[in-house]
Amino acid sequence: MASAEQPLPYVPRTNSISAFVEAPSSGGHRRSPSTVPTSKFAADMSQPPPRPARSPLPHGFNAADMDRISDSNDKDKIASTGTGPSSQHSSLSAPPPKVRHDPSLRRAHKPRSQYPRSSTESHVEYILVASFDIDRGPIMEHQYPVAITGDEHMLAELMLPDQAHVRNQDWTVFFLHKDSSQEEDDAERQAKESRRARRRRRRDREKGIIHESDDEEDGDEDLDDDDDWDDDMSTDTEPEGGEGPPLVYVLNLVNTKQDKTVKRGAVVKAMAICTRHPFLHIYKPLLLLALEEYFKSPVPETLSMLFNAVNEMDLSLMPKLSLLERHLLQASDNKDLFVEKFERMIQARISEETAEDVADQPFDASRSPPKRPGIFRSGTKSYIETHTGAYAVPRDTHEFESKVMYKGIPIPIKVPVAVMPETVGDFSLIKLIQNFSDSHAKSPQTFPLHPHLTTNGPTTHPIIVLVNALLTQKRVIFLGHNMPSGEVAEAVLAACALVSGGLLRGFTRHAFPYTDLTKIDDLLNVPGFIAGVTNPTFEHHPEWWDLLCDIPSGKMKISSKIESAPITEGLVYFQQQNPAYANFINGASASSGSGSSSSNSAGSQTGDLTGDAAFMADILRFIANRSGERVVRAKWREWVLKFTRIAAAFEETVFGASALYIGSDGDEGGSRGNGMAAMGHGYVWADEATKAKELAGNVTRIEGWRNTRSYYSFIQDVAQSYTVRPLKGLDLAHMHDRLRTQKLTPQQSREIFEAFYNYVWSYDEICLLLSVAPESHAGLFYIALGLFHKDRDVRIKTAELLDRIAEHEAGQHWWRSLSRFEKLAYVRIKKEVEQEGKMGREGGVVSPIDSKRVS
Amino acid sequence: MGAAFSMSSLFGKLFGSKEVRILMLGLDAAGKTTILYKLKLNQTMTTIPTVGFNVETFTYKNIKFNMWDVGGQDKIRPLWRHYYSGTQGLVFVVDSSDHARIDEARTELHRIINDREMADCLLLVFANKQDVDGAMKPNEVTEKLQLAKLKDKLWFVQPAIAIDGEGLTEGFGWLSDNIKKMPKYGGK
Repeated sequence: MASAEQPLPYVPRTNSISAFVEAPSSGGHRRSPSTVPTSKFAADMSQPPPRPARSPLPHGFNAADMDRISDSNDKDKIASTGTGPSSQHSSLSAPPPKVRHDPSLRRAHKPRSQYPRSSTESHVEYILVASFDIDRGPIMEHQYPVAITGDEHMLAELMLPDQAHVRNQDWTVFFLHKDSSQEEDDAERQAKESRRARRRRRRDREKGIIHESDDEEDGDEDLDDDDDWDDDMSTDTEPEGGEGPPLVYVLNLVNTKQDKTVKRGAVVKAMAICTRHPFLHIYKPLLLLALEEYFKSPVPETLSMLFNAVNEMDLSLMPKLSLLERHLLQASDNKDLFVEKFERMIQARISEETAEDVADQPFDASRSPPKRPGIFRSGTKSYIETHTGAYAVPRDTHEFESKVMYKGIPIPIKVPVAVMPETVGDFSLIKLIQNFSDSHAKSPQTFPLHPHLTTNGPTTHPIIVLVNALLTQKRVIFLGHNMPSGEVAEAVLAACALVSGGLLRGFTRHAFPYTDLTKIDDLLNVPGFIAGVTNPTFEHHPEWWDLLCDIPSGKMKISSKIESAPITEGLVYFQQQNPAYANFINGASASSGSGSSSSNSAGSQTGDLTGDAAFMADILRFIANRSGERVVRAKWREWVLKFTRIAAAFEETVFGASALYIGSDGDEGGSRGNGMAAMGHGYVWADEATKAKELAGNVTRIEGWRNTRSYYSFIQDVAQSYTVRPLKGLDLAHMHDRLRTQKLTPQQSREIFEAFYNYVWSYDEICLLLSVAPESHAGLFYIALGLFHKDRDVRIKTAELLDRIAEHEAGQHWWRSLSRFEKLAYVRIKKEVEQEGKMGREGGVVSPIDSKRVS
Repeated sequence: MGAAFSMSSLFGKLFGSKEVRILMLGLDAAGKTTILYKLKLNQTMTTIPTVGFNVETFTYKNIKFNMWDVGGQDKIRPLWRHYYSGTQGLVFVVDSSDHARIDEARTELHRIINDREMADCLLLVFANKQDVDGAMKPNEVTEKLQLAKLKDKLWFVQPAIAIDGEGLTEGFGWLSDNIKKMPKYGGK
């Protein structure tokens, strides 16, 4: 553990900030139109890294796959065709409609574990115990397995939150910014080395070369997922953490015990678990038990017992999901979504264990794993349940069930399978929203105007003020006087997730779920933070914050000392380009004179240009109808997504280009690329006037956002995900939105349906299509409208597209919830096609379409 | 945006509901929390060390006191300064029986009242724990704390036995009388 470590978020900040400033282009300052990277630039920037063509080809490849590859000039798609060892689909579901195309295309990547057994990382890195010494204040008592470096005293202070003495129990959460040390890097490298060596040996063996040390071989050739795993580390560039090493999350429990026998009558002790997993709340029951134990025997062994117990927790059968898959799972209430992945994990484990048995026997050159009849053949859920006992598919695929043995007691643990970026711990958006909506509903608050914050005028909904403050990187404090510090921490974590929507980043990294006066000087060094406090003295210092959210009263306060928003180029250009709408821009027009102030406030209040008032009313109705946390999170994600898309449209409108969207021109080339570009991209408005109004409503907060950490990291993410994203040139959301919101001529809708048909093939491509047509909205409804298109070939192509979707691991669920009316149309079209086929016209339906694809 | 704030203080003036913010400091185990809850609840509570702070509001002689009691362990004393701004009265509590640490108390007291933000505030010293044998008398405490050195400062030393409530009313009586004389009282 070297000196590079920082126990707390403050100091490394300078580093990260400079990283933002250098971010992707042009000095980091406000972009003038000339420095805005065009879409073209962005595309150049993200030239696909020369990905070595994969050989040997994954198992299960067949001629159909080869065809597919040869007519695709996109190498990435090859990766998506890797199929599992068993070509049998073990789904529980009723067989989907028959398809002519090779189904393996629609199969997911071979599932990998999120936390493989071979990983060198432990679930929990440290256990700490602190106490409040009556003479010295907070002190650290024990640390296990080694001392966490950095300011021990500061940690002890965080572990003993203000007013711990007035309640018996309190939870807190805080984050540490700890660099992975030299040693850890070395360990990582060694682990990688040994994985490589293992693979090399295996490949050699496949070629017939036998090594002396083969006995430690860990699996048969069907399980060569080490390969993928390693690639995962080096080239799977799904944007994840971004700036710097992952945070260390600390979950802390503090207990106060009255004790007449000790001096001054009480003992205050706290125990904390430090982990890099964002789902730290799963450890709560264990901390309760372990702290109780520590009061009885305050020795390091109590810490080591907990440390060992939690690190023996087995999560290796939890499949790793891609960002798209996680998004689909998060947004869906379906308890069976991706159940196949869990099943395949279990199958792989069973066959691995079989192979281990074999490995014990003398080496046999032929090396055919003894087939246990039944396992490879069926592999259905019921089979796994009845015959293996130890392995069970979770009841709800959103949660992976495991257990921790603590002192001989099995503690059940449920780990969330799909964790979106910026989601840490256990919190409720509903609770946060209600907390600040209820008092607003009773007596609407009027805010002093600030262009970044009050985008709907003085009566902007407090939650929108909060989100605006976070988007524009203000200093936000949640104050919960007389509340357990765990509750303010929860509000902070919820706020991070709210504004991130799983899309934007950089909030948790600058969040201080619980902090107190001892850290104030460091806190104030952070430009833009989200902090939770319980000490009302913060309220007396408006120079410390921009927005104060008082949890008990449900009121928010904009600081009297908040910095005023600068007049920016983007704002000025927009006003020049849209003089008719200049007056609608909130706040800003108050100074631009010409008697606009009355029309301005009228416009912002009644007009709801941003649509936020309607949105909030919607959200509150969903909450009132008990729609549940998942729905509300999905709605917010849509809000954030919409905001980013409007921001992209704004930049394109005002500056002529935007780095928030990467289009198709560039590497895609040829007629295909042009065809894709012609499909258009970006947010869809019904008409130009609606667009101008919505842009006018958003312009000030977009301008406020355009210089923040989350803006720059979003640009990085867009560029990075472009390299791994399927269907680079196509904006499926745009196309789907056009079907949804615009009146299209048959020719226009034909183009869209044809594009879906022509481009959406692989597993990932279908995932992408599903993600723009969430179940919570209309699902496949708008896509299936193609079944009623006036042109017959469009109807047939749409039916074919639905076939592909129905075959898809996730798509089958979308297919199933398709309306009866549309399903009937599908059946009718299929019948027609079949009859024609019977009439003997060679490839009458399928081949012309296929030939089109190749061209 | 200033409008909202001045409005609220105007109402404060009309209805006389202005709070007076009092900060209570002193070395650890001096009796601060006991005094706070004796005043608030008129009960003697068994207190335990304060982690961070306590804050309570109570009315005495028609004045609404918003009283802060901040933990006194030496490690957390640097935090005291964050409570200074807006404070109109400082209550400094001394354990009169603790001869060993009276000089430490003096140093801390002078550090506080020399702060610019505390320049205008009243100073009430409770010479607490008068019931303990050998406790310093009020004049001895005054001398040890070198209060005579303070120029332009209204101060008062009140002997007290916090657990019985003795001396507290007298002390707060002095405080309220002088607060009413302050030009600032009734709104800034």
